[in-house]
Order: sequence, then C-alpha cells, then structure tokens
Amino acid sequence: MIFKQFLFSFISTVGFSVFFNAPRSSVPYAGFTGGFGWIAYYILKSAGYIAPLASLAGAIVVGTLGELFARIDKKPVTAFVVPGIIPLVPGYGLYLTMIGLLNNDYTSAIQIGNETILTGGAIAMGIIIVSSMAKIFKSQKIVALNSIKK
Amino acid sequence: MLKNEVLQIALYSGEIMLKSGAETYRVEDIIDRMCKSKELHEVSSFVTPTGLFVSDNKTRESTSIIKRVKNRKIDLDKISQVNNFARSFVKSEIPYEEAMNKLKKIDNTPKFHPALTLILIGLAAAFFTLLSGGKPLDFIATFFVSIISIIVFWSIDRLSDTQFLSTTASAAVISLCSVISSKIGLVTSFDMIIVGAVMPLVPGVALTNGIRDLISGDIISGISRVFEAVMIAVSIAVGVGLVLGFWTGVLGGSLI
Repeated sequence: MIFKQFLFSFISTVGFSVFFNAPRSSVPYAGFTGGFGWIAYYILKSAGYIAPLASLAGAIVVGTLGELFARIDKKPVTAFVVPGIIPLVPGYGLYLTMIGLLNNDYTSAIQIGNETILTGGAIAMGIIIVSSMAKIFKSQKIVALNSIKK
Repeated sequence: MLKNEVLQIALYSGEIMLKSGAETYRVEDIIDRMCKSKELHEVSSFVTPTGLFVSDNKTRESTSIIKRVKNRKIDLDKISQVNNFARSFVKSEIPYEEAMNKLKKIDNTPKFHPALTLILIGLAAAFFTLLSGGKPLDFIATFFVSIISIIVFWSIDRLSDTQFLSTTASAAVISLCSVISSKIGLVTSFDMIIVGAVMPLVPGVALTNGIRDLISGDIISGISRVFEAVMIAVSIAVGVGLVLGFWTGVLGGSLI
C-alpha cells in the first residue's frame, strides 16, 4: 500500500517538475523528494494526526531531501522543493471549501477552509524551518573552519 | 570592467531569475554578491515581484538602474543556470560581451517539448486523482481533462497578459468536461476529476514563496505574492463554480 502511494506521488512530482521546466538531471531527484514527503504525510495522516501536522512533517522531509540533493546534484534547493511540495498542497480542501460556499453551507466551508489555510501555512513553515537550519549550520561550519585556521 | 557593465550584468541575471519565479532573497543575494566581487561595495538592490532596482551609491555620480518585469513563469532550469553563471562570474573575470551573450543564451533556453510536457502533466494530474482517493476510471478521465485544460490555458495565455483570464477559462473547461463525463456515465462522481485536473493551476508555489518572503522580512514581495496566490485561487473557484452553479441552478443537477 505504501509502495503504491510512493509510486503515485513519485510520478506526480516528476510530471510537475517537467511542467516547471526543472533541469533534466534533477527531475528524478525531485521525484524522490515528492515521494518521500508524501509518504511522511501519509503515515502520520493514517495514524490519525491532523492534516496540518502531517503536512508540516511532509514539508520538513521535502526540505531536508532538497538540501541533500542540492549538494549531490549541484543545483539550487528550489529545483527540488518546488515540485516536491506539490503532492502536499491541499487541493481537495480548497475544492470542498468552494463547494461549501456554493451550497450556502458556511459552517463546513469555514471549517474546511480554516484547515486548508493552516495546512498551507504548515507547508511553508516546514520548508522555512529546514532552510534556516541549513543556513545556521553552514555559517557555524564557516566560523569553526576559520577558528581552526587561526 | 566598468561599473555600469557590472551593474547591467547583475541586473540581467536578477531579471531572468525573477521572471522564472525565484524567491526575492535569492535574487537580491545574487545581485549583491556579483557586484561585491567586482569591487562595488556600496551596491543596494531592491527586488519586488514586478520589478528590480539596483543602485550604486558610492561616489557622487551614483548610478541606479530599474527593470520592470511583466510576467512571471516558473522555470527551474533558468534559475539553476543563472545560479551557476553567477558563481563562475564571482570567481573569475568574464568580459562584458561574453557575460551578456551567456545570459542571453540562458534566457532563450528551450523548454521540454510541449507534447512531452502535456503527457507528463496529464499523468501528474491523473496520479494526483488516485492520491486523493479516485478510482481507475477517474484516472483516465483526469488524464484527458487536464491535457485539454492545459491546452486552453496555453492558448489564452498567448493572447492575453492577464493570468486570471486564462486560469478562469481553464478551470471552467475542467469542470465542464468533468460534468459532461459524469453525465454520460463515464465516471460516477466528478469531484475527484476536478481536484486532480485543477492541480496544475493551483498556486501552491506562489503561496509558499510568498509566506517565505514574509517571514524573511521582504514584506512587499511577500504580500504581493500571497495576494497573487489568493487571486489565482479565487479565479479557479470562479471558473469551477460558474459551471457547477449553472449545472445545479439551471439544469437541476446535484453536487454530490
């Protein structure tokens, strides 16, 4: 079951990275980024955690793999993170919010809409946490290297 | 190398990155580093999603250049190529003409073949339908619906500069095709098709980049990007909602 989920999100991410015209060599890496990010989301979601928390975990996985592949493939992190977060984007939530508004069912529209906005924020937070951590590590490494040289 | 030439090269690099959807901090960082490596230490750059300002404030005859950016399309290959170019520019001496020619070549890099892009984006949307819990028949329907919608999106995008028009039209086509395919009994429910086929239009990247800009302190870029994402989401909802509203209100169909 998990392998099937991984395969679906892998192909989905590869398609989106071609749509965003990613560099050719980084397309398969982007696929792995999106696939593993979705698996993290899927495991937490099916264990009963709320969607924003699961998306945060998924985004952290995407960000970490993006930083890793950026060093392996020598491409900017964006080339992996931008397609990688696509499976996590709460498209169904947006759709249900709109349907609720169309049906004058404002209670469910607000409820689902709220969760959708929180999920979007959680994805951005996950990416930001990883990229600022990477920056801090990098600057600490430079400081350490300089102090060794002295 | 003259001061003006360095500024021109840095501005052109920044323009390509901004047009390709790079984050604000990355564009400012690249411009600053390229200028500093050529002994221009007083350069400041100010980047918003719709334009760049680069200015050298050192001497009395300070220079500033402004570039307006009209449309933005995500192109990760260009971002990465300009990134590499900037790195080699910082490390070595590249003459003005050679640098500008290199940047022009990057600016005109061909994309993936349109047919390949269409097939892959159809597959991506179709597999997204399966991820959201669709059935195999939904998968096949989403594949064709999303290809049709992207063709509509591209052809309107060529004619008009406003992204919202092409987004609304494309979203309307998606929900029309989904309603038709459920009406003729091809699939049982159309919501999964709409969810999958709408994914290439959803402004997930604009939203995430906007929030990133806001948190890193680029308030103007952040607010404009987030609002752009909201406007795109609203135009998708208008396109899908118009057709669905017509179907329920005038033709008496049901939404579930």
